[in-house]
Amino acid sequence: MQPYLAQALDASSTFAGAGVGWIDALRRAGADAYGEHGLPRRRDEYWRYTNLNALLDESFKLSETVPAIGLPTLPHPSVAGLATYRVVLVNGRVQPKLCALDGMPDGVLISGLEDLLAAAPDRLEPYLGQIAPLEDMPMAALNTAFLQDGMAIFIGENIVLDKPVHLISITAPGEGAMMVQPRHIVVLGPKAEATLIETHITATGGSSFNNIVTELQLAEGAKLNHFVFQEEADTSVHLSGTAVSLAAGSFYDSFVLQSGAAIGRSEIRAYLNGPGVDCRLDGVYLGTGKQVVDNTTYVEHAAPECRSRQVYKGVLDGQARGVFQGKVHVMRDAQKTDGHQLSRALLLSPRAEIDARPELEIYADDVKCSHGATAGELDEDSLFYLLSRGIPRTTARRMLIEAFLSEAIAEIPLLAVAEDFSTHVRQWLTGHIDQQADGAGT
Amino acid sequence: MALLEIRNLHANIDGKEILTGLNLTVDAGEVHAIMGPNGSGKSTLSYVLTGRAGYEVTDGEILFDGKDVIEMAPDERAREGVFLAFQYPVEIPGVTSMTFLRTAVNAVREHRGESVFDPMDFVKYVRERATDLNISDDMLKRAVNVGFSGGEKKRMEMLQMAALEPRIAILDETDSGLDIDALKVVADGVNAMRSPERGMLLITHYQRLLDYIVPDHVHVLANGQIVKSGDKALALELEEKGYAEFLENAA
Repeated sequence: MQPYLAQALDASSTFAGAGVGWIDALRRAGADAYGEHGLPRRRDEYWRYTNLNALLDESFKLSETVPAIGLPTLPHPSVAGLATYRVVLVNGRVQPKLCALDGMPDGVLISGLEDLLAAAPDRLEPYLGQIAPLEDMPMAALNTAFLQDGMAIFIGENIVLDKPVHLISITAPGEGAMMVQPRHIVVLGPKAEATLIETHITATGGSSFNNIVTELQLAEGAKLNHFVFQEEADTSVHLSGTAVSLAAGSFYDSFVLQSGAAIGRSEIRAYLNGPGVDCRLDGVYLGTGKQVVDNTTYVEHAAPECRSRQVYKGVLDGQARGVFQGKVHVMRDAQKTDGHQLSRALLLSPRAEIDARPELEIYADDVKCSHGATAGELDEDSLFYLLSRGIPRTTARRMLIEAFLSEAIAEIPLLAVAEDFSTHVRQWLTGHIDQQADGAGT
Repeated sequence: MALLEIRNLHANIDGKEILTGLNLTVDAGEVHAIMGPNGSGKSTLSYVLTGRAGYEVTDGEILFDGKDVIEMAPDERAREGVFLAFQYPVEIPGVTSMTFLRTAVNAVREHRGESVFDPMDFVKYVRERATDLNISDDMLKRAVNVGFSGGEKKRMEMLQMAALEPRIAILDETDSGLDIDALKVVADGVNAMRSPERGMLLITHYQRLLDYIVPDHVHVLANGQIVKSGDKALALELEEKGYAEFLENAA
């Protein structure tokens, strides 16, 4: 049997909604798809550069207990200071005492998934497991076999949510290696608008495997801004799979900051199903030590006159490895597609590495598409210019690295998020680059 | 003691010898012009003096205020008071001119044991100097040199010089790419910086700049050496006769 599958099958009878026909069937479909495939390997198209051997021996056990912890100080003060609807997960389970969901407008539901599976599974049935394709996403299939808890958001037609939703996901492993399998679902009705901010952190020192799946459904004209801070500890394997279904005229803007985890992966699959969709997938990643930071995207243009933009920028130091795999797939009917993707990586050490594979697959004839990838060191001319003005080398390097990332951060429409991203980048540079630069020659 | 003393300087790029035993002494308060044909080593001299990577000194000495410069990193030289106005100023997207200037000026002031500016005081300090150079607040808010015209870039170099108050300023082809109005603004900026404590080295191909910035001494650089020195009359002579004479002598 494939690793982890027995744990899912053993526990499934205790999960919320067990005995409800479609929920049982969905979990079984996840177990079957994963059982057929097993853990992704290098031969899988979307896993060519990220190896999951660390998971093979099944040392990670499903979290059964949730430690009673308070809300920790978050690493991003501006976002923490925002008025938000707050959903807090500890070890994949919603903690009602830490959530803040008062004052939800009519037509809005923000809930723990487990509660909803027990109380009103019918609301979930049309969406759950319908957006993420289990056959293409083996880790999502595994997550589906473990389907138990997470966050669910429903926003009705024409409703502009008054505050962002802040999902705080805390992993708090105990003695042994721990696994969590949270599942999130966000459904926006026609012309509904919302902002979702996610924070992923680790509270204690043990090792953990966090396998997240998020399904997003945007109806006609809906609008979602989605920001993710992935700052888990370097004892963590963080795999996130997001699938977003976009109806005509909808707008989805995603920005992912990854600087945590031993292996950190963000896979986003966007399905542009109706005309006039605007989809932006951006990211910044920072890697040091032996970290692997993977950003994988798949953008499917299935309808005409849609626009997609992707810009991923990373800074890699030490022996860190970055991965960017992005595919823009333009189907035959998707005329007038405007699709762009760009990967840019800054390598600060001779042993840092980036594997970038931008891809276009185009079956329509009237499209405007481009892709590109660059990788390199800091620009010597720029560095010398700053040095020649008396700016110390360490400061000069920091200025140039911040400048490289600032273009991407300047695109963030929510000021608090942009501020915290900048702060985080500066702190990261203080922690890693200054030491490295001091050791470097002229 | 001379402000800058260069003795028998030999320097290579990629193993090719460009400076072949250059001697030059600049005293405080003096303006020296170095003229020479393309490929004579003018830009190499400016980069060797400022410590650019890839320019290898194989023999000779550079003493600035009696201190050996060759052992100093580029940023140390700058903090000691060596300034280069670039022939081609570098564009740095993502760094605003104001932040760049403040970081540089504060690094230099800290080194001199002077107080550093807070951002508000610094705006005042820069504006006083920017006005004379016809540099707008908008230019200072933009990224360093990004989208600037040739003239704007050169004026921004002059602003950096005025803000950093160097002991010696090396101006590499500062007149290149400037129309006559822009040249006057830049020359006024340079002349305003002339002082008994400061030395200047104007590196130029053409005599035109020297109509506006009158040098105390003029040197001809050919094949990596100073081959002739004189006063401003030498520049006019070169304008008339060209550099052929010196190239033939060397060959």
